Amino acid sequence: MNSQLSTIIAREYLERVKRKSFIISTILMPLFMVGLMVLPALIAIFQTPEEKVIAVIDESGVVAKTLQNGDETKFVVVDKPLADILGNEGYYGVLSIGANIVEKPSNATLYTHSASSMSLENYISNQIKETVESIRLRKYNIDNLPEILAAVQADVNLQTFRIDESEEASETSSTLSYFIGIIMSFMLYMFILIYGQMVMTSIIEEKNNRVLEIVVSSVKPTYLMLGKILGIGAVAVTQILIWLIIVLSFSYWVMPSLMSGVVAGANDPELMAALGRLSDGSYVLSLFVYLLLFLVGGYLFYSSIYAAIGSAVDNIQDASQLTTIAVLPIILGMVLSPSVVADPMSSYATWISIIPFTSPLVMMARIPFGIPFWEIALSIVLLYLTIGFMIWLAAKIYRVGIFMYGKKPNITELIRWARYK
Amino acid sequence: MDNNILKAEHIVKTFTKHTALDDVTIEVPRGKVYGLLGPNGAGKTTLIRIINHITAPDSGVVTFNGHQLTAADVANIGYLPEERGLYKKMKVGDQAIFFARLKGLSKQDATKALKEWFERLEISSWWDRKVEELSKGMAQKVQFIVTVLHRPELLIFDEPFSGFDPINANVLKREILRLRDEGSTVIFSTHNMASVEELCDNISLINKSHNILTGSVRELRREFSDNSLEFSFLGEQSKLTEALQPFTREISSNGIDRDGFLSVSLKLNSGDDLRDAIAKANEAVDLRSFRQVLPSMDEIFIRSVEMFNQNNPQQ
Repeated sequence: MNSQLSTIIAREYLERVKRKSFIISTILMPLFMVGLMVLPALIAIFQTPEEKVIAVIDESGVVAKTLQNGDETKFVVVDKPLADILGNEGYYGVLSIGANIVEKPSNATLYTHSASSMSLENYISNQIKETVESIRLRKYNIDNLPEILAAVQADVNLQTFRIDESEEASETSSTLSYFIGIIMSFMLYMFILIYGQMVMTSIIEEKNNRVLEIVVSSVKPTYLMLGKILGIGAVAVTQILIWLIIVLSFSYWVMPSLMSGVVAGANDPELMAALGRLSDGSYVLSLFVYLLLFLVGGYLFYSSIYAAIGSAVDNIQDASQLTTIAVLPIILGMVLSPSVVADPMSSYATWISIIPFTSPLVMMARIPFGIPFWEIALSIVLLYLTIGFMIWLAAKIYRVGIFMYGKKPNITELIRWARYK
Repeated sequence: MDNNILKAEHIVKTFTKHTALDDVTIEVPRGKVYGLLGPNGAGKTTLIRIINHITAPDSGVVTFNGHQLTAADVANIGYLPEERGLYKKMKVGDQAIFFARLKGLSKQDATKALKEWFERLEISSWWDRKVEELSKGMAQKVQFIVTVLHRPELLIFDEPFSGFDPINANVLKREILRLRDEGSTVIFSTHNMASVEELCDNISLINKSHNILTGSVRELRREFSDNSLEFSFLGEQSKLTEALQPFTREISSNGIDRDGFLSVSLKLNSGDDLRDAIAKANEAVDLRSFRQVLPSMDEIFIRSVEMFNQNNPQQ
């Protein structure tokens, strides 16, 4: 490699990797992500639920005695007319059950002071339903009814398999793929934006304190730009590799022991499948390889745009207008990702995962669903071919932009600079 | 080999709205200090950037050491730009090594040469300090060293003395002349005309994208001479004034000079009158000394620029 280029890359890389902020954020970020996932559960555990007392007026005389108090709900049977207790603020609500509830199950009414919740309504109606059903069943006078009921009860848990072209069935769980897809495309989004911006602010800084003038007195401007993009890109790759090591070691050492604990306790095939996949090191590794390819590709693509913008402006405020236009596709990719993972095989999803502007994010969201390899390959090849063009274009603008001070350029001006000799 | 290390011939460079250089030609003799002068915005920096292969001219040819300038020649050029800065967060020593390596020096060579230079300019104690802790003048010294470290054949200094106190400016002048004596050619761009007289052998004056004046400093000053003389004498000034009346345009008293003689400044109508004027003056008073006063580069600069602007009002 050109020795000037490698000198610049080395400086850009070491300057950043040696910073405390890099070391801290690299270690803290995974913790933060885990925290985000665990936090809702923790909140649920520590939150003490408010008890809701519901007065029950049961004209049928069969339902009230079967109502079970729940964690948050307590039933109190009252023997007063409805009108008398409706005004009583002491109760969360009043449940009125008609005399003919067994014949006409819809004859039940819940009055509440504040808006009731869906879970409360389900909780009550399920109980009434069970009572009414069991009363109706009993009317048939079947012997051993409880045993029969227990015997026919079945819990269905749909396990989905997809038949690959290799005719080997691989286990897929759409829910897990959904989450992995969303998380991966979100990671790409963050990396591309954060590191792309880093390229831009760093160029603006060099331009402002005029160190750039000294550097270009011995190095071609294109090398300086390229060196900066590659150096900062190497920082991004370093960070993601560190995370890979953390995640891989997690799935090799922590997940298996976690699994055995779970196997003993829970009995949830969906969760088991998810944990099983995450403890499969080679699966995690293949995801990371793709993540890395699209991260590098997406980063190079957008950072060259950021570099061109950074060279053209004097401060970050002036850049905001241009960057808004530049990052529109990537934000679009982020916004579209949920709809893509909802139907990953649609032709719409396929297209935007192949066109370079949106491809890194969208393709990354689709990959966990196990899409044909040729689509991934095409997307990667197209992306890297376009990068060559983008960097070439950015270099042309950069070369002129770095010597322009004072005025805020617009897009037409940038295009004109690209045509200078 | 050609006596000129660098030739820039018929250089034209236009930007969208204005012409920065219009058919500019300069020839820089080897081993000399060459002054590139001109008002702000005249096109000097653009010319320097073309010489340094940072921008390309629209037309015209730059010849370096007898061949057309290529990107590889930049390794033989050291350029200190007018607007210059350093990486603030980096340590001085690391940063100097970084720049030296960009110039193609190995880390060992760079470190050795840098230590010598730091010693010479008495800044060794800054090696491990961050640039943001340095004053402007201190940073300029580091930039100067970085520019000359790789011993290029051609050195280009754009306003090298800005930000320096007189003592350090002198240190820098001494170093520039030493580099010239060791064989380097120096192109020196400045507004400081006193330093031009002190340092430059030849100059070109760029004004409004044209090279309006070029030549050796000594010859130009003679050429621009307006026949100013200074006489010191003993006797009556009125007699001298009367005797010189036929030859002079202007005459004014300077009072008494350091040596206790009376002194007058005068301008002759023509250089041919010099002998006669001295003869007449000698008869009128007791003449002790006389000397021809050559115009300063300052005057030459102002006169040339004003003359050009009057003749080319459309630009």
